[in-house]
Amino acid sequence: MGAIGYLYKRTLINRTKMALKKPVTYLYLALLLFYFLALPASLKVVMQGTGLDSARDMAGVLTVLSFWLIPANLIAYAKRRGLVYRHSDVHFLFPAPISPKRVLLYAHLKTLLMQVLLNLFAVVCGGTLFHVEGWRLAVYFVFSIFVENLLEAGIMLLLYGSERIRERQQGMVIKAAYGLVVILLGMGVYAYLQEGLSMDALSRFLHSDMIQLVPLVGWYIAAVHLLFVGATTVNVAGTACYGLLLIAVVAAAWRMDCKGGFYEDAMKFAEDYEEVLESRRQGNVKRLGKKERFGKARIRWRGHGASALFYRQLLEYKKSRYFIFDISTVVAVLAGAAVAYLYRKEGGFGALDPYRALVLPAVAAYMIFIFAGFGGKWAKELKSPYTYLLPDSPFRKLMAATMMQHVQALVNGCLMMAPCALVMGLALPEALLCVLFYVLMSAGKLYSLAVAQILTGSALGATARQLMQMLLLSIAIGAAVMGAVMGMAVGGRLMALGIMDLFLGLFTVIYMVIATLNFYHIEA
Amino acid sequence: MLEVMHLTKKYGKTLAADDIGFTVPDGRVGILLGPNGAGKSTVIKSIAGLLRFKGTIRIQGRDSHTMEAKRSFAYVPELPYLYEALTVREHLEFISRAYGIPLSEEEAASLFRRFELTDKLDKLGSELSKGMMQKVSICCALVIRPKVILLDEPMVGLDPAAIKELKAQILELKAQGCTVLISTHMLEMVKELWDVTFVMDRGHILGTYAREALANEDLEELYFSVTGQDRPREDGRQAWER
Repeated sequence: MGAIGYLYKRTLINRTKMALKKPVTYLYLALLLFYFLALPASLKVVMQGTGLDSARDMAGVLTVLSFWLIPANLIAYAKRRGLVYRHSDVHFLFPAPISPKRVLLYAHLKTLLMQVLLNLFAVVCGGTLFHVEGWRLAVYFVFSIFVENLLEAGIMLLLYGSERIRERQQGMVIKAAYGLVVILLGMGVYAYLQEGLSMDALSRFLHSDMIQLVPLVGWYIAAVHLLFVGATTVNVAGTACYGLLLIAVVAAAWRMDCKGGFYEDAMKFAEDYEEVLESRRQGNVKRLGKKERFGKARIRWRGHGASALFYRQLLEYKKSRYFIFDISTVVAVLAGAAVAYLYRKEGGFGALDPYRALVLPAVAAYMIFIFAGFGGKWAKELKSPYTYLLPDSPFRKLMAATMMQHVQALVNGCLMMAPCALVMGLALPEALLCVLFYVLMSAGKLYSLAVAQILTGSALGATARQLMQMLLLSIAIGAAVMGAVMGMAVGGRLMALGIMDLFLGLFTVIYMVIATLNFYHIEA
Repeated sequence: MLEVMHLTKKYGKTLAADDIGFTVPDGRVGILLGPNGAGKSTVIKSIAGLLRFKGTIRIQGRDSHTMEAKRSFAYVPELPYLYEALTVREHLEFISRAYGIPLSEEEAASLFRRFELTDKLDKLGSELSKGMMQKVSICCALVIRPKVILLDEPMVGLDPAAIKELKAQILELKAQGCTVLISTHMLEMVKELWDVTFVMDRGHILGTYAREALANEDLEELYFSVTGQDRPREDGRQAWER
């Protein structure tokens, strides 16, 4: 066995062994199995109801997927950003006497397991949802894993590994990939103008001969139609073109000279990738290839001790492109707008209308709960030894380190609640209590992270910490719900919001006190 | 022998290495010196085949991109990055397969003993400390039995025993006729090792100095006189305090 085969095999075995030692793996496996089987089963009813349950419809779904998957892959390879290498590959693999083409294929091979799983899922869906015969599914599976992969690997080698392809030519490939998308979109617009928007029109478009004539994407669609729908002159011709393209690409990739010129780009990509992995481990949102830009800013530092934490954060926010606004602001605005729109469109919430002021906290709680894993600056503070070493009282440090995030929560809460309160005609105290709920819930999220850290320690890892944080938040939300029910029983909507906030506030304070003790404990 | 000829590397408009040229003959230890941002890393990564560059780099007379050249070349980067899911033992096995060099149990055991890794053989890469990773990285480089070895800040993170062992290894390699190029800021650590020193700054080689030609001059003195950097005072006070 060669070095790459050995590396792949040992990595797979060791990772499997490591994963099996972690209890959370079994939870993930159970969830995966559940979705693998339950999703097709639950979608079956929907598909039967809409009449989209034939082999032809499966071809339609695969057509839609290919519209963006194939051009996206082309663009990624042309930009030399589609393959994942780690620092260890740069250290050991790149300088080794291993053909750079093999090094490229090794990175491609890393995605094989995921491809097998996804295609198995497609096969299960094909059998249960679209009633496709077994032999067709078997041929599809073999086609996807071997033929499609061979073509993709060939294209990847040509685009990623070629030393002759210059920046200008790279740009041309990227433009050509976008061109494919534009052609397909253009065809879609043309079909819409001719036939209007309906399921039948969409179906006719997806199965039309014209899209099967588009190079690469269309030829793939032709092959899929030949398999699932049956032979027509156009799809046989398209499939033949696909076959010829495959032969041409594989032959060209085989003959191509590759001395490892791509290592420089791959090394840069590995650095970016490791940075993103590290950032995600710390609970931050960071996208691959998107470096955060900072402007120039100044502040007047006041006070001493813990105040330094506050002013440092303020300086960072002022240097940041969007100041205190981030993805949570976007989500809050969108959620508020969506609730207001729905309320206006439907003319109220029907039987739930008397409780309409409680809908907003419910949506806010759901959003904050879902985004509980993204700790932002607070998560960074908790990891920094300077936070603990700073000579000030734990409480002042906690306040200073979280103050800006409370301000952010207040702004987000207002942005979310204001349009809804106006559309729903809520009284000012009700709207203010909704905003207060948002702020308390956000604070609860921050402090529960610190509490989860104390309870799980460092040995159990990030997943256990996140699960614990979600459990703590669930308890606080449960208490708030209880408060709302009690309030409604005692004195109506305003009382419900008030007691709900009170109960939530109580848990937030409890979590805050425990978080403060955490600072104290570590200092001690 | 390691030959670097007319090496030029640009990052966008920034010229990181400008027409660099030097040679380290067989059985000699070359030291690459220079302040931060001098271009040492660019030169090292170019030699290791990690960067595109203009010019020629030859390892044992062969173009550095050829498989033959790579087979006789070992590289120890400044920061060791091991495979998270490979054990120490498996790292050596992987390298021995990659370079097509058979590695007997005795040879591996002797290497592990020298670098005090015997009790860490079944530890995964992700379970090791930085210092231990550096030791494994050095062992992997030695397994290759290189004709040319490139060490980038090899002493960082090593304990005193490992530093002593590494120095002994470098002298052994030198005695066996291996070409050694070390990039370091730790001048004290290499003062008994070097044969030739290349001082770099702002992408240029400022000077090449053979040990024989510098009768009594200390490496540190040489560095500060060539780069023109302020030398910190013996009492520890910095230049800006004066």
